[in-house]
Amino acid sequence: MAFAHLTSLLRNLFHKQREERELDEELRSHELLLADEKIRAGMNPQEAHRQARIELGGLEQVKEQVREIRAGHLLETLFQDVHFGLRMLRKNLGFTAVAVLTFALGIGSTSAVFSVVDRILFRNLPYPQDNRLVSFGLLAPIERDEFMLGSSYVDFRREPGPFEAITSMNPGTTGCDLTEQNGIRLSCALVEQTFLPTFGIQPLLGRNFSLDEDRPNAPRVALLSYSLWTSRFGGDPGVLDKTVSLDGIATRIIGVLPSTFEMPTLSAVDILVPQALDEAQQHRANPGVVLRTFARLRPGLDVPKTIAALQPWFDKALAGAPPQFRKEIRLSVRTLRDRQIQDVRLASWLLLSSVLAFLLVACTNVANLLLARATGRQREVAVRAALGAGKRRLIRQSLTESGLLGVFGALAGSWFAYLLLRLFVSIAPQGIPRLDQARLDARVVIFTLGITLISTLLFGLAPALQIPALDALVGKDVRATPHNFLRQTFVSAQIAISLILLAGAGLMLRSLWNLENVRLGMQTENVLIEDVSLAQYRYPTPEKQLAFFAELESRVNRLPGMMAVALSDSLPPSGRMRSTILAAIEVAGRPLFNEGTGGSVAWRAVTPSYFAALDIRIIRGRTFQPSDLLANEDPIILSETLALELFPTANPIGQQLRLFRIPGPWRTVVGIAADVKNDGLATQAGPEFYLPWKNDPVESLNEGYVVVRTRMNPKAVAAWMRAETSELDSTLPVNIEAMSQRVGKLTARQRFDAMLLSLFAGMGVLLAAIGIYGVVRFLVEQRTREIGVRIALGATPQDILKTVLANIGRWTMVGSALGLFGAWASARLLQSLLFQVRAHDPSLFGLALVLLIVVVFVAAWIPARRATRVDPMVALRYE
Amino acid sequence: LRQEQTNLLQGTLDMMILKSLALKEMHGLEISRRIGQITKGTFQVKPGSLFPALHRMEEQGWLVSYWGESENNRRAKYYKVTSAGRRQLEAETKRWDRIALAIIRTLEAS
Repeated sequence: MAFAHLTSLLRNLFHKQREERELDEELRSHELLLADEKIRAGMNPQEAHRQARIELGGLEQVKEQVREIRAGHLLETLFQDVHFGLRMLRKNLGFTAVAVLTFALGIGSTSAVFSVVDRILFRNLPYPQDNRLVSFGLLAPIERDEFMLGSSYVDFRREPGPFEAITSMNPGTTGCDLTEQNGIRLSCALVEQTFLPTFGIQPLLGRNFSLDEDRPNAPRVALLSYSLWTSRFGGDPGVLDKTVSLDGIATRIIGVLPSTFEMPTLSAVDILVPQALDEAQQHRANPGVVLRTFARLRPGLDVPKTIAALQPWFDKALAGAPPQFRKEIRLSVRTLRDRQIQDVRLASWLLLSSVLAFLLVACTNVANLLLARATGRQREVAVRAALGAGKRRLIRQSLTESGLLGVFGALAGSWFAYLLLRLFVSIAPQGIPRLDQARLDARVVIFTLGITLISTLLFGLAPALQIPALDALVGKDVRATPHNFLRQTFVSAQIAISLILLAGAGLMLRSLWNLENVRLGMQTENVLIEDVSLAQYRYPTPEKQLAFFAELESRVNRLPGMMAVALSDSLPPSGRMRSTILAAIEVAGRPLFNEGTGGSVAWRAVTPSYFAALDIRIIRGRTFQPSDLLANEDPIILSETLALELFPTANPIGQQLRLFRIPGPWRTVVGIAADVKNDGLATQAGPEFYLPWKNDPVESLNEGYVVVRTRMNPKAVAAWMRAETSELDSTLPVNIEAMSQRVGKLTARQRFDAMLLSLFAGMGVLLAAIGIYGVVRFLVEQRTREIGVRIALGATPQDILKTVLANIGRWTMVGSALGLFGAWASARLLQSLLFQVRAHDPSLFGLALVLLIVVVFVAAWIPARRATRVDPMVALRYE
Repeated sequence: LRQEQTNLLQGTLDMMILKSLALKEMHGLEISRRIGQITKGTFQVKPGSLFPALHRMEEQGWLVSYWGESENNRRAKYYKVTSAGRRQLEAETKRWDRIALAIIRTLEAS
């Protein structure tokens, strides 16, 4: 039956004419048969035919009833509208192209930005009831994420207070090695037994580890990530209960994580292994290890209530903390989303709102185009209205045309969105959380459809509601004042929005420029960095590790064109570096510093040529010398800031220091190095000290950097270094990059924000210019006769130009004033994203205003000039 | 109530058309005359209800139509019941019997 319906629908759509003819014939034959019948009954033929016609009733009515019965009636009128709409669009290809392109730019940018910020702001995290997951614990000046110390955590987890469930993991991930045939470097996370249940994650295969397996010295078990399972084990379910060698320890695989699994810290992980926290040892070691702690809130408890409920426990716990911590530590509970996106939330909202503003500009532009065309078509529409087209039908027709523009615009826009997204990924590979996951998926498509619909209504409704009065039939050129008012309002709105976008982009660009030109304290040009991460199983002892680094350094040193080659365990301006607290530095002849922690102090172990390689200035004293590497020498170099903090008045050179609050050697300050940014670009350089990289094997050092300053082509040098490294150890992954590139990554997000905002501002100004051009051109065309009369009466071209431009000038002023006000109000919200720029920087605002006014003037001047060339004779005979 | 009424009437017309066509294939006028004859003039089917009904039933797949010659050699559109139509007639008849029986019982009971 459904099939019969469908075929009749198709038949009706495609055999419309034949059906209509057949129905006609059938009814005619019916009439004739009726007449025949009456003639046979003895009626005279003429009367019989008359009677037959009467009996048949209104022929048209019967036909209409039959048509109505047929399926697809509504569809057919839609089909008609679409058909007609397509014809109109084809007839006016220039208009169609501009409208579709404009709309595509708007829709495409919006979709692309949405697909990025959706992951950050809106989309659920891949955990059930993700809004109840929090990161909780302590915050200290030296640590930007919540943590707990082992000794207090093991007590707390017995009585998890206001939480439904809590769990912990060791901070970060650790490199671990699958030590089998073709062993590989993996990243492992150590998590508590409660980790998966708290996040609500079910293993895809197998099970979570048990409490017993999470005890110290229990036989080691592990869960594989989905990608490791498929890439290494071919997705074989038989992998369960298999024993593999992980860092040389026999480890039984007990489960596989689902493909959607991600760590709450967003770090990539291949294997989960039990944390195996030793309670007794944590108590003994008080305060114990640092743990990342997460929890699931009780239903109905929000973050503030939870903090209030935790406060008494916190106060009690703090009473037992070492005194220097007490002042600086505070309690913190944050939703998991907040922890993950950190400070990107504001930037994401900024991008989303600026792209929506841009979409609004695009929509008003299309609306303006449609209005202009509607004025041109007034007579046609009036004719159709006079011929009996209902108002509703006319509105529907007009909306169908806008809808068609919307559909084409959305299609072209999706393609544009795809290109933009690829551009985004190439601009900011690491700057934006989850950017690598951004796709044009079903959610984005639905969003795109939604905004297309809303935008189509926005720009389609204005012309649709302007059904002309019948006067238009008379053929007089009706001065459609409401149109003009609407169009000029649109222009003002475009100018206002463009100005806001321009000002915002200006602020962000200026801030980016400041950030990229920040004084680093070192020279990054011509510096190459090789990041070396040694596999524990191949280099199990510090001796072997140090031997490798020493060999690599001497090999690289022998390469041609080397100006300086150095080793370091970490590198500025950001990244993992070792740190201690100021209170742990003991100055000879002074009591220990006991007021708080004093903040964190970074330190690095470096070889003597480190300062030369990075061109870090030695302000006083000397740099390290080869003799400093001897076992009984203990020199130290301080950064300028640290030197000032420790020795505000005295000469630091020659002073004795002892570090880490352990009975180590007294160290002699031999030099003061200039400050180097070591905590990102935007913050002041923190205090820092350098120790010599000694070849005395005390602690494990499986991660280090070779720093090279060269006068040769960096590409060639990188290739040589790669060759030398693989000659030493062919299994080692080699990672070489330019120092400037490494620093550039730090501004990736700011560059992303600034570039996107500039893109939207630029496109917004361009569209506003197109809009103004269109409006002025239209005004000039409409007023050709009037202008002709004026010229005939002796007006000079300058007078005409003035009249036309004065008109647009008024609307520009209104738009600029609104825009300045809007920019002023919204800039305040940007302040926290800006680096060394005042949000209300008058020179930037002025620049944006001047730029916009120049563009507006040029866009208005080109068509206005036409007005001055009007030939009065032609104009007066016009039409 | 009104909806049911029209449904009932519509169903009735469909049933009468199917019943008439069950004997032989006919054109519109023949069907209308046949119904008048069977019901002894109780139902006079006007073209305004006949043709929409025929076209609807054709679309539902109960009837097929073809062009043929009438007895007095006029071209006319003939309708023929399909097997779906026959099944529909059966179902309709059963339903009708049930309703009729129910009505009779109701009337007898009061």
